[in-house]
Amino acid sequence: MGFPSPARDYFDGGLDLNRLLVKDRVSTFIMRVSGNAMRSAGIHDGDEVIVDRSLSVRDGSVVIVNLNGQMLVRRWHIDGPKVGLLSDESPLPVWLTEGDEVGVFGVITRCLHYVR
Amino acid sequence: MSVDHVSLVDVNNFYVSCERAFDYSLRNRPVVVLSNNDGCVVARSQEAKDLGIATGEPFFKIQRLMDSHNLAVRSSNYELYGDMSARVMELLGRYGTWHEVYSIDESFIGLEGNLEQVRSTAAQIRKAIDKSIGVPVCVGVSSTKTLAKLANHIAKHNPGLGGVCVQQLMDRSVLDNILSRVPVTDVWGVGRKSGAKLTSMGIETIADLRDADPLLIRKKFSVVLQRTVFELNGQRCIGPVEERADRGQVMFTRSFSTPVRTYEAMEEVMSIYAQKAASRLASEGRYATLLTVTAGTSRFAQGEASFPSAQVRLPRPTRDPILLSKLAIAAMRDLMQPGMDYVRGGVILSGLSDSPGEKQLDLFELGDGQEEEQKNVSSVVQDISARFGAKSIGLGPAGMAQSPQWTMKREHISQRYTTEWDELLEVRA
Repeated sequence: MGFPSPARDYFDGGLDLNRLLVKDRVSTFIMRVSGNAMRSAGIHDGDEVIVDRSLSVRDGSVVIVNLNGQMLVRRWHIDGPKVGLLSDESPLPVWLTEGDEVGVFGVITRCLHYVR
Repeated sequence: MSVDHVSLVDVNNFYVSCERAFDYSLRNRPVVVLSNNDGCVVARSQEAKDLGIATGEPFFKIQRLMDSHNLAVRSSNYELYGDMSARVMELLGRYGTWHEVYSIDESFIGLEGNLEQVRSTAAQIRKAIDKSIGVPVCVGVSSTKTLAKLANHIAKHNPGLGGVCVQQLMDRSVLDNILSRVPVTDVWGVGRKSGAKLTSMGIETIADLRDADPLLIRKKFSVVLQRTVFELNGQRCIGPVEERADRGQVMFTRSFSTPVRTYEAMEEVMSIYAQKAASRLASEGRYATLLTVTAGTSRFAQGEASFPSAQVRLPRPTRDPILLSKLAIAAMRDLMQPGMDYVRGGVILSGLSDSPGEKQLDLFELGDGQEEEQKNVSSVVQDISARFGAKSIGLGPAGMAQSPQWTMKREHISQRYTTEWDELLEVRA
């Protein structure tokens, strides 16, 4: 493969986006968003989101949640004993009830949005 | 004084659990994963086991259950399983005082502390893997590898234990009861043949083997089985294990005796491991379609940790040591951070098939001067990969976004959620 540059072993690789965007490779997953109901969170149709499973969900967290078989991006909303899912579709949360099948996959930490 | 305990951690129904981590529709229903070319069953969910589906059962025989019993079927998604395995192993490495990868979904790790501390660490491991990666594991802890395997077996078959069994904390009579009921063939290291012979000698259960005369066992069987007897009595005598060869893959991963810091040293390691893995494939008469390389720093290292891992799709089923070692070197060169102390590394070949597949006209291939051509192509690929990233180029159609259709039949495959930009899980906003 030709002459390796002698500087190569000392080159630290410059800015590595992984180091900025991924806190822990083990628990980080990337997903692609369809739909525009989370624009207020800065997430648009076609964006990729970075999801960290290891984080705990708090009031206001933007999460990947499986609700009755559908994988959704929603804002977790806690009001006393009640938990709801918020999106731009309605000013009111969709309250979760006992009959719902709910599974939180992880918390979104970053969104990759194509600007140009 | 703190004592070192041996634990065995494995993922329950690993392939199925990987599928379920992303596809919630697969939960609480029977699921099977098929072998290469969708031939037969290689993994089953508990619900599928309850339906009486056996490992190795041909797909056509159970196909009707898809309608009648809501059975879900998936082709082997080696890219996904390989990536999920690397995550599990990396997380385990943070807990163990030592770590030996035994198969794609199984590891021995050392745990320090008194028994209560160890039980709490084991429970933490289980919780962390479930939370961070999304797959369920069981942890068995004891004083030897053979007993840790057994403890894991007990954890798996007794849901009340919450997936963790510390053998030394078990009630003596409960343990004895189990050991005198479980057949000797369930002991790690006892094959079917020696199992039959043992049974004919009246050694039918694990307790029988534990209490057998080690000298007699060595005389009638082997020193290997004698070690099993010692281990069942709590005497540690099985050294570092070699990865178990399963039908799905060949692994060659090791801890280094001295840390590897430079590109040159890592190239040497990757080259040797790739060639060893290739020769193991050759001895089994098989070919690989996917190459995975991994390396890792110690969790005790000062400062940052680094756990590079990459997968390279192969141009066609191959076991060519030159091609494999060149690709392994190129992939790792792009990922490692020179100057860091890497303490382990590995090469994994998966997506195995029994035939080299149809000859495909490669983009770069000129004619039939196969061997020489391949060398040239490899070095070009390596150059480009080193400069632009391991995924920037591959050989022939394998390097394109679309995977080569002819490699194997995978009609029921899920997306490669974690290794392909085109196959990310879509979420609705």
